[in-house]
Amino acid sequence: MSRTSRTGRPGASSASGAGNRTTAGSSSRTVSSSSAGTGSDSGRSSGPGRLLIAVYGVFAVAATARAGFQIATKFSEAPVAYLLSAVAAVVYVAATISLARKGAVWFRAAVATICVELLGVLVVGSLSIFDAKAFPQETVWSLYGRGYGFVPLLLPVLGLWWLYRHRADSRRTGDSA
Amino acid sequence: MTVDGWFYAGLVVGGISTLTCVAVAVLKKAPNDITLLSVAAVELFLIVYLIGSIVRTATGGHIAGEPWEFWGYLATALCLPIAGFYWAILERSFWSNYVLAAVGVTVVVMMARMAQIWYGPATAALAGITGTATGTGQ
Repeated sequence: MSRTSRTGRPGASSASGAGNRTTAGSSSRTVSSSSAGTGSDSGRSSGPGRLLIAVYGVFAVAATARAGFQIATKFSEAPVAYLLSAVAAVVYVAATISLARKGAVWFRAAVATICVELLGVLVVGSLSIFDAKAFPQETVWSLYGRGYGFVPLLLPVLGLWWLYRHRADSRRTGDSA
Repeated sequence: MTVDGWFYAGLVVGGISTLTCVAVAVLKKAPNDITLLSVAAVELFLIVYLIGSIVRTATGGHIAGEPWEFWGYLATALCLPIAGFYWAILERSFWSNYVLAAVGVTVVVMMARMAQIWYGPATAALAGITGTATGTGQ
């Protein structure tokens, strides 16, 4: 509901971030009281964003636990793969936090970490296929995240798309998109 | 992968919770008693599983994998419904029901992983049968 009202607004691209948000919030509230945004001052962590952040949070926990376990128990077996596991964990944690925080700086942080994430899943996914020996199927990103239902491949695409939809948030203090 | 009654119970509870939350979310309703109770049922199941697992290990049940990995998974799984509840209740929109729906399916995946750790990845059927026969006691 708030989704369509936000993008369907003709002046959305030219309106300032703050003005755009308040009008979108009030119009969605008239559509449906149950599905309206609660008037939080950043649409990024609202509505579908909450689900996105929740899924990122699950992956942050899963990747951190897995990397911690691998490094604690069998680091010498495949140091490169397990270090990459740790990198993936850090990226997921950073992405979760930056998506959940408000403001232009966190917006840019989210874009950066999710770009790293997309790069990571593509590079590690490809390497795990072409150089299987160096990359046993032990990281979140191996085989493009097949062990996790390819969610790791889908997540950065959805994340960047979501941030693109909310690029007005980043125009509050400067312009970057 | 070896599966036992615990996993199937988790599959049913988690699956029903996820399907319920998705159905209510599709109807564009905010989290209500039905979806919150379904997530509470997942938490309750996990508490029972925790008690059951403690009883199983105390009565001679054997974890094939790393025991602390198993308990780590279980502790994390126990936090999920609470975290989902907290995150969903902060904003009462229908999207929060999708967040609640993610709890059930995540718990099912973690139940599968815990069954894997408990019985070992490959030793499969035999260990599973003896394990369930001696362990579950349900």
